[in-house]
Amino acid sequence: MTTVIMRTTARAIVPIILVVAISLFFEGHNLPGGGFIGGVLTVTAFAIIYMAFGLDFLERGILGRDVDPGKGPSRDRVVVAYRRLFAYGFAIAVGSGLVPLLFGRPFLTQTYESLEGVPIYGYLGIASALVFDFGVYCVVVGGLLTILSVVGAE
Amino acid sequence: MSPDLAIVVAAVALPFVVAALTPVLFRVLGEGTGFAGTAVALTSFGLLATQYGREGAVALPWVPSRNIALQFYVDGWALLFALLACGIGALIFSYSPAYMHGESGLVRYYAALLAFMGSIVGVALAADLIAIFLFWELTSLASFVLIGYYTADDSSQYAARMAMFITVGGGLFLLVGLLLLSVVAGDVLGPGAAFDLAAMLENPDEMQGALRDRGLFLPVLGLLAIGAGTKSAQVPLHFWLPNAMAAPTPVSAFLHSATMVKVGVYFVGRTRPLLVSAEWLFLFASLGLTTMTVCAILAVASTDIKELLAYSTASHLGLMIAGFGFTSVYGAEAGVFHLLNHALFKAALFLVAGIVAHEAGTREIDELGGLRRDLPITAAITTVVALSMAGIPPFNGFYSKELLFEAAVEASHHHDIGILGWLYPAVAVFGSIFTVLYSLKFLSLFFGERPEGLDHVHRPPVSLLVPPAVLALLAAFVSVDPQRAVDLIVQSGLEATAVDPHEMHVGIPTSYSPALGMSAVTIGVGLLAYPTYGRLHDGIRAIPRTVPQVGANWWYDTVVDGLSDEGRRFAETVHNGMLRTYATWTLGATCALALAGFVAAGAIEPTALGIKATVPIALVLLVAVIGAVAVVTSDSHIAGVLTLSILGFMVAIFYILASAPDLALTQLVVETLVLLIFLLVIEEIPEYYEVGIGRVARDAVLSVAVGATAFVTVLVTTDARPDGPTEIARGYAEQAVPRGGGTNIVNVTLVDFRGFDTLGELAVVALAAISILTLIVMRGRDEGRIGPRGEDRPDDPAGARSDGDPSGGDDE
Repeated sequence: MTTVIMRTTARAIVPIILVVAISLFFEGHNLPGGGFIGGVLTVTAFAIIYMAFGLDFLERGILGRDVDPGKGPSRDRVVVAYRRLFAYGFAIAVGSGLVPLLFGRPFLTQTYESLEGVPIYGYLGIASALVFDFGVYCVVVGGLLTILSVVGAE
Repeated sequence: MSPDLAIVVAAVALPFVVAALTPVLFRVLGEGTGFAGTAVALTSFGLLATQYGREGAVALPWVPSRNIALQFYVDGWALLFALLACGIGALIFSYSPAYMHGESGLVRYYAALLAFMGSIVGVALAADLIAIFLFWELTSLASFVLIGYYTADDSSQYAARMAMFITVGGGLFLLVGLLLLSVVAGDVLGPGAAFDLAAMLENPDEMQGALRDRGLFLPVLGLLAIGAGTKSAQVPLHFWLPNAMAAPTPVSAFLHSATMVKVGVYFVGRTRPLLVSAEWLFLFASLGLTTMTVCAILAVASTDIKELLAYSTASHLGLMIAGFGFTSVYGAEAGVFHLLNHALFKAALFLVAGIVAHEAGTREIDELGGLRRDLPITAAITTVVALSMAGIPPFNGFYSKELLFEAAVEASHHHDIGILGWLYPAVAVFGSIFTVLYSLKFLSLFFGERPEGLDHVHRPPVSLLVPPAVLALLAAFVSVDPQRAVDLIVQSGLEATAVDPHEMHVGIPTSYSPALGMSAVTIGVGLLAYPTYGRLHDGIRAIPRTVPQVGANWWYDTVVDGLSDEGRRFAETVHNGMLRTYATWTLGATCALALAGFVAAGAIEPTALGIKATVPIALVLLVAVIGAVAVVTSDSHIAGVLTLSILGFMVAIFYILASAPDLALTQLVVETLVLLIFLLVIEEIPEYYEVGIGRVARDAVLSVAVGATAFVTVLVTTDARPDGPTEIARGYAEQAVPRGGGTNIVNVTLVDFRGFDTLGELAVVALAAISILTLIVMRGRDEGRIGPRGEDRPDDPAGARSDGDPSGGDDE
C-alpha cells in the first residue's frame, strides 16, 4: 500500500481533508456538518496517513521519537494521546452540560449569542452548543483513532 | 414523646462511617481495631438507649417526588432488636482481637462487621419500605463478605455464595411483596404514605381489608413469608445457616445469635399487627414448628459443635416464627421474649464453641469431653446457657418456651383449625425433646470422661472469657428475675407486635396448667432418652446417606450445579471464539426477537405497497442492488470490499436525493473510513477458504432473515407514521433557530434539544474504545506469558480474529 503514488496523493489530500473536517465541525450548527461528521473525517485523514506511511510514521517521522519495535501498541505515546483525547472530550461534553446547573438551568441546557458587525463575517452566531460539539468531536476522534491504531498494530 | 432524629440517624450512620475509616484505623491501631469497634457499638448502644421509652416516626427526606424518605420508627420492638445488635456487637468486637490474632485481611473483617452492625440497626429502625429493603439487602451483602472471610478456603466460598444466593433471592421476593403493599397503601392511606410502614401499622384493619378486596392478601403474605423465611433459615431453605458456620466463630456468634437470622423474625413480628389472620396462623405456625422440629433433629445428628449450634439456631428461629404465628397474645409474648433469651444464650454458646475450638484444637463432638477441669470458667458459663437453651426451669429459656406451649394450646380456642389444634402442641413438644437432647450433649463436652486423644488444653485469655461471661450473667439475671426483664423491654416490644397487648407476667409456675405439663413431658422424655443419644444420632445420620433427596442441600447442589453446567455448555455453543458464531447468534436472536415482537403486537398486516419512487432514486437503488449481488459473487476480498462500498455510496446518494444532506455526509464519510480500514487490514485476512454447503445454506438463511427483518421493520415503522411531519418534527423545525440558534436542524437536535442522547452515544464510543483497548492489552499479556514476544508474533493467531476487527469501526 505504501507506493509512491499513494504517498504523493496522501501528501496532497490529507491537509485538504483536515481543513474540510475542521470547517465541517465549525459550520455544523448552520450547515450540514457537526462534531460527529468532522470527527469521522479527521479520522479518515489519519487512516490515510497510516495506510500510506505505516503505523510508526506519526511517532517516528513527525514527532521524531524512537519507536521500540517490540513494544505493545497500547503503550505508544500517540495511542496514549488518543486515549487522553477521548477522555478529555468526554469530560468537556459532560462539563459543558454541568455549567448551566450553576445558573439554575437543567443539565445540558444550551444558549447562543448573536454578534453583529464582526469584521469580514458581518454577522456571527456563537452557540454554547459548540463546546458540547467539540466534546463530541474529541471523543469521536480519540475513540476511533485508539481503535484504529491499536487494532491496526495487531 | 417522639424520638430525636439526629440521635437515631447518628446511631445508624456511625457504624457505616467508621467502616469506611477502618483502613485508617487499622493502620493506627493494628489488631486493636476490634476495641474501636467495641467503642462504636457501645456509642450506638448509648445513643439508642437515650431514646428508651420514646415512640414515633422521624424522617429524613430522600426522594420526595416518589414519597420515599429515610424514615425511622422507634418503639419497644425496634429498640429491643437494635440494642441487642449493638450490645452483642460490642461483645463480639472485644472478643475478636484475641480470636482473630495473626489472621490476614482484618481490615476487611472489621469493616464488614461494622457495616453489618449498621445495617442491622438500620433494618430494626427503618419504617420506610424502600429503606427496609435497602438495609435488608445490605445485611446480606455484609454477611456474604463475612461468611466468605477465608477466601482461600473452598468450603467458605461455597457457604458465602449459598448464603448470598438464598438470602438475596429471598430479598427479591420481599421486594415484590413490599411493592404490592405500597401500591395498596398508596390507594388506601394516600400517596404520601405509600412507603410508610408506620402509617400502615396505625391503620391495620383498613390495610388488611383493602388487601383482601384486591385479592392481594395471600400474595403479599406469601412473598413476605418467603423473604423472612429465607433470611431466618426456615425449612426448606434452612440449609444455608449450618453451611455459614464456615465463617470465623465471632462472626457466627454475631450473625446467628442476635442479628442476621433474626431479621426475618423481627420483620414477621413487625408486620404481625398488619397481617395477622387465620391464614397467618396457619402459615407461620406450621412453618415455624416444622423448622423447629426438623432442625432440632438435625442438630442431634451433628458431629461438629458449631454445626450443632447452627442447626439449633435454625430450630429456635422456628420457635420464634411459630410464636409470632400463633395469633393469641401468648404467641407474641413467646416470640419477643425468646428473641431476647435466644440472643443471650446462643451468642454465649457460640463464643464458648470458639473458645473450645481455639484451645482444644478440634470441633468434633466425639473428640471432646470432660473439659471442666481444663476450662472451669467456661464450663460454668456453659452450664447456665446450655440449660437455658434446653428450657430447663428456672433458666430463662424455660419461660419463653412455656409461653410457646401456652400459645400452641390456645390456638384452637381462637380459630377453628380442627386436628391442627392437637397437632401444634404435639409437634411443639416433640421438637422440644430434641432441643433438650442436643443441649445436654453440648453440656457433656465439659462433663463425663475426658477422651484419650485430647491434647493439653490451654487456658483461654481473659478477653475471650469476658464476653460470654457477660452474656451468661445477663442470662442468669433474666433467669432469676424474669419479670424485671419483661418490665424493662419485653413489654414494650410486645405492645408493638401484639394485636391485643396486656400486662405480661412471667415467673415460676405455681399451679398446674397444660403448658406446664408439656414442659414436664419434654424435660422428662429428654432426660430419659439421653442415654440413647448415640443410637439416635447414628439413626438420623443414616437417613440422608441412603436417601440423599431428603436433604435440602442436595436439591441446592443439584439445581445450582445443573444451572452452572447448562450455562457453561450454552456459553461454549454461543461464544466459541469464532466471530461468525457470535455474529450468527446475535443476528439470529435480534431477527427472531424483532419479528416475534411485531407478530405479538399485531403490527404486521398485509397492505398494498404504494411505491412512488422517482426515476433517479430507482436508478440509484438499482445500482445498489447490483453492487450487493456483486459482493456475494466476488472471488477476492478486494473486489468484495470495493463492491460493498458501491452499495454504501449509493445509499449516500439516495440520502441526497431524499434531501437529507447531513445523513448523506455522514454516510459518505463513514463509508470512506470503513473502506480505508478494510484496505488496511485486508492483507491480514487469509485467502479464501473452502466452505461446506451446510455453512453456505446457514449463511443464506441468516442473510434472508436479516434482510426480511430490516424490510419488515422499515415497513412497520414508516407505516405507523401519520401523514405529514409530526408535532415533534414541526416543533424541532420551528424552534431550531429561535431556541437553538442554528439553521441545521439535525445538528441543533443532536447537540441542543437531545443533547442527553448524544452524551449517551459518546459514552458508547468511549466504551467501545476502552473495551477494544482492554481486550488487546489482555491478549498481549496472555501471549507474553505463553511464549516470547517478538517479530514472529503477528502471523499466527491474527487470521481468525482480524476479520473481526473492522466490525469495531463499523459499529460507529
